[in-house]
Amino acid sequence: MRKYFKMDIRDLGLAKYEDVLDLQKEFVSKRIAGNIPDTLIMVEHYPVVTLGRVAEEDSIIDREFFDKSGIPVVRTGRGGKITYHAPGQIVLYPVIDLSSRKKDISFYIDFLEKTVAGSLNRLGVPAHISEERRGVWAGSEKIAFIGVAVRRWVTFHGVSVNINNDCGPFFRMHPCGEADIKVTSAEMVLGRKLDMGEVKKVFAERFIKDLEGEYGIAFAGAVGIKQ
Amino acid sequence: MELRLPELSELNSEAVITFWHLSENERVLKDDDLVEVVTDKATFSIPAPCDGILMKIWKKDGEVIRMNDVIAEIQEDRSQ
Repeated sequence: MRKYFKMDIRDLGLAKYEDVLDLQKEFVSKRIAGNIPDTLIMVEHYPVVTLGRVAEEDSIIDREFFDKSGIPVVRTGRGGKITYHAPGQIVLYPVIDLSSRKKDISFYIDFLEKTVAGSLNRLGVPAHISEERRGVWAGSEKIAFIGVAVRRWVTFHGVSVNINNDCGPFFRMHPCGEADIKVTSAEMVLGRKLDMGEVKKVFAERFIKDLEGEYGIAFAGAVGIKQ
Repeated sequence: MELRLPELSELNSEAVITFWHLSENERVLKDDDLVEVVTDKATFSIPAPCDGILMKIWKKDGEVIRMNDVIAEIQEDRSQ
């Protein structure tokens, strides 16, 4: 068991989904080979619908809307079902080696949920996790969506959190493949937009703190975000 | 040798096979991705444990499996 860990935190700004997926795969290979430290990628995506490995195509209620809006639908290799990404939504892609921490996928997903809920609370959003359903919730509405992939115990994909993004497109699908899910954002809850730079800082700091706490390994160094 | 579903979670012992990267009788290389399963909100790639031949796939795409279930049989290449 390691006694401390290092982590690169990278803010990619606004980027195309497929480009960041390619980058994640590159990072996973390098992490498996031990050539890079654990890495947290933070990014906002251009509008895109993504379908996880077990998502059904008919989760898209209004395909015409997405086609006419020029919003691509991408099939991807993560867990989970259907979701939507857009500017104003923070997406976290941790590339973390779990083999020297705790080799437990459900524990890792619990950790992701807790750190997202804690970050949102810090930003003033009363978010919580649920015993019954995955994701992070604000009241009875879903605010964060999880879909992970693990290769040789190195994680990729991750979690998306609605901050300032337009949630309208979520109403043209069954988010997570479930018809009864209503979706919200930090902006809808608070009635004002949040500064994305501040949001990323809060999420990065909380992520490191919770990673230390949940896995019992100390972080070596200062939290710094590379652009 | 038997390929078994490893423990992926203490609290959740079930997974579903999503797809095999290879077919029966194909050559496998140690550490290459061999089969993908989905559990909880995650996909997990199981690597080949050795070089050899994938002799038998016991659990097909879409099948629910439990921890330690035998999912395939690999004839290990002992020539090296």
